[in-house]
Formats: sequence, structure tokens, C-alpha cells
Amino acid sequence: MTEMAKETNCRASSMDFGGKGVPPARILIGKVGLDGHDRGAKYVAHILRDAGFEVIYTGIRRTPEQIVATAIQEDVDIVGLSFLSGSHKSFFKRVIDLLEKNEASDIILVGGGTIPAADISSLREAGVRAVFTPGASAKEIVETFAALSEKHKGLR
Amino acid sequence: MKEDMQRLVCLAGAGGIRAAARLMTMAQDSPERMAELLSASRVWPEPRIVVGLTGPPGSGKSVLVDRLIAGLRKRRPERRIGVITVDPSSPYSGGALLGDRVRMMRHAADPMVFIRSAATRGRLGGLMLGVVGTVRIMGLIGSDVVLIETVGVGQGEVEIAKLADLVTVIFPPEDGDSIQLLKAGLMEIGDIFVINKADQPGAGRRYVQLRAALALGEGRPDDDLPEVHLISALEDKGVGELIEQLDRRYERDHAHWRVRRKAAIESEIRRAILEEFDRQCAQAIGSEEVKRILNDETSVMELVKEISSKIAIGAYQSGGCCS
Repeated sequence: MTEMAKETNCRASSMDFGGKGVPPARILIGKVGLDGHDRGAKYVAHILRDAGFEVIYTGIRRTPEQIVATAIQEDVDIVGLSFLSGSHKSFFKRVIDLLEKNEASDIILVGGGTIPAADISSLREAGVRAVFTPGASAKEIVETFAALSEKHKGLR
Repeated sequence: MKEDMQRLVCLAGAGGIRAAARLMTMAQDSPERMAELLSASRVWPEPRIVVGLTGPPGSGKSVLVDRLIAGLRKRRPERRIGVITVDPSSPYSGGALLGDRVRMMRHAADPMVFIRSAATRGRLGGLMLGVVGTVRIMGLIGSDVVLIETVGVGQGEVEIAKLADLVTVIFPPEDGDSIQLLKAGLMEIGDIFVINKADQPGAGRRYVQLRAALALGEGRPDDDLPEVHLISALEDKGVGELIEQLDRRYERDHAHWRVRRKAAIESEIRRAILEEFDRQCAQAIGSEEVKRILNDETSVMELVKEISSKIAIGAYQSGGCCS
């Protein structure tokens, strides 16, 4: 385990769940559309696992419907979607609409991948709470997920 | 703020998937609420049949579960199916990668299929409660069949499989020699056995070895041996026969299962109380308490009294996710 993971896992670790710890946050990591470049998504799933999160990995080429149904059934705090295809805008819109339709808009959305800087503000306006582009550090990603998941648990 | 369990139960009972999922999180996270939930569940609808599927990593369990879902949905389109998949938590970080769903994603958007992943979280008691609770909630939303998939390594996973009415043990063809089949553990808990990957070489020989090993078991008459199925989940061969076998076992044994499930509730509630007691004790015993013992300032018995009285006044109440 990296030092970074050691520092951050105090919030999400389950091994001391019987003691003073809290149950780990649950995160869905997946890819939507025809884009099969899953190295980034798998890497993020891995670092989140090492930071003490429970990560539900859906694999590639999923539909927004599958992602939203999975997020609801697994009762996740955050959905992280990776895009290297340029289709982030339309697919995020569809996911946001479906979450709303299913009364699950409280689930936090996060994006990552080759997303042009020009698109980030419109994604954020639409409700994507964080966007990670190439060069984002593992530390930054883990800390953002930890802060967002804490916020989500606080809503309950 | 505590979520209102009763309200969630009402919503889930009326088909609310989100509410059911929230209840499952409660079952997995909050032992202090489980006794309440288990007790309430006595009047809920129950799944007709709960099947445990276990076996070594890579034996093809997730693919077989995917094919079973497809087969069951085709046979009885009007009936709901629940799936619980258990994957290990890291003993180092406490995190987990729950990846069994990847093989079943084609069913993700099917409203009649509910799939839920659970991490082992390093605590057998808590995990068992979580799975028991999840099975009950699957019943509440009207599931006909519930499949529980666990990796058959270690006692915990074997215990989980035993929560089911029927345990199916799955072996791959390339799983060591016949001596492996004489070892204790997996071989003893199976009601039904599957040699998967029949499309690969060695499956036929493995089938013969497995039948021979089962025949050695404590003088069972030949016609009472657990059934062995040779299946290729990948090619979807033999899965229909397995489903028929599950139905036959239901016809034969469901009265017995019903009695067993009723009897289990008592021990489950006991487990829920113990889990919560354990959680509160763990909170009460810190390095300070250990130091006092090391420095001879107190005895273990004195400390137990002290902690019990603190527990009695509710010093360690809640602390689960919902507080």
C-alpha cells in the first residue's frame, strides 16, 4: 500500500469497522459507449480500492441505462465514468436524465479521461461534480472521492 | 439522521428498487439495526429457492450465474431474480474491487433482475448478517430465485454458501489431481456439483474423478449421491439441466427448507446482537485500556465491569453509517 493510501484510508477503511471506523463508501467505475480504452478506468478503480473504497467495476461498452440501474441497485455514493471517445457530453446528459427519472439525483457524478478543457465547465454546470483529465494525480483523485463520498453520506 | 427503516420497508414492498437497495446497505453497514430488520422480515414474502454457488477462483462461477439468470428469465419471464455476489475486501486497505457483475452486465437493465455486490469486510459475522438481510430484502421485493455467489476459499465463504437452501459447488477441469477431491471443505458442503468448462480438455476425466470421490463418502447408497453436472457455461451447455435439477430439489425438499429457514431466524438475531455488542466493545477498548492492564492498574475483570456499565448507559451507541 502506498503512503498516500495509508493517509487516506482512515476515512474509508472497513477493517476497523467494528471499532471506530465507518463503513467504506461505495463507488461505481465504468465506461459508457463504444470506447474500449479501459486502462484509465481500471487504474482509478485500483487506486480507489487501495484507498479503502468498495469499487463496483462494470467494464466497458455499457449503456447509460445499465450504469444507472447498477448504481441504484448497488446503492453507490459516487458514479465515476471514463471517456476517451469524445462522447462525454451526450452520455453524461443521458445519465443525469436517467438518475433524475429514477429519483436518484443525489448520487454524485464524476468524470475522467480525454475531456477538453472547454467542455469541463459545461459538464460541471450540468451536475458533474469533478472532472479529471490526463495528468491528474492519484492523490488528487482519491482525496476528491473521499470528500465527495463523505458529503453524500452526510445527506442520509 | 436515521433513515426510517419502516418507511423503506413499505416502499420496497411496493416494488421500490431504490428503497430495497438502501435497506441492503443498512443490512451490510449497521448491525445495530439488523435485529429489527430480521424480526420484521418474518412476515415478508420469501424467495422460493436460495442457491449458493461456490468454488475456487476462476472456476467460472460468474459466467454460470449469468447463464442461470438468462435460463431462469426465459423459463419464467414473470418472476424476479436476485443475485448476491461476494468478493474479498483487502486486509490492508479495507477496500474491495467488486467485479463479478462484469460478467452479468447484459442483465443490468432488466427490471426483473436485481444484482447486489458485497465485500467480505474482514468480519464473518457482519458479512453473514449482511447477506442474510440482503436475501430477505430480495424476498420482500418478490424474488423467486436468489443466487449467492462466493469464492470458495476460506471458512467465511463456505459459511456464506451454507446460508442457502442448496449449495452448488463448481470446479474447473484443471484443478489438481484426485487427491484434491478428498480434502475437507468444499467437497462436504455441496448438494449439487458442477464440473464447468466442459469445452476444455480434462473435464471428462475430472467428472469421473469427482463422482468416484463422492462415492467414497460415508457409505451412502449409490442412488443418494449428490448429482454431478458436466457444464460448459461459456457455450451455455448443460445449464438447462441444472435449472431442472434445482426445481426437482425444490419439489422434494421445500417443506424441509421452510422449517430450516424459520429456525435460522433465532440464531441470526443472536448474531445481530453479538455483532453490535462486539462493535461497542471494540470502540470501548483503546490503547489507554490496554496500557492500564500493562501497567497493572486494573485487571481484565475490572475492565470488563467498567466497559459493561458504560455500554449499559449507551456510551457507544450508533456510529454506523446512518448516524
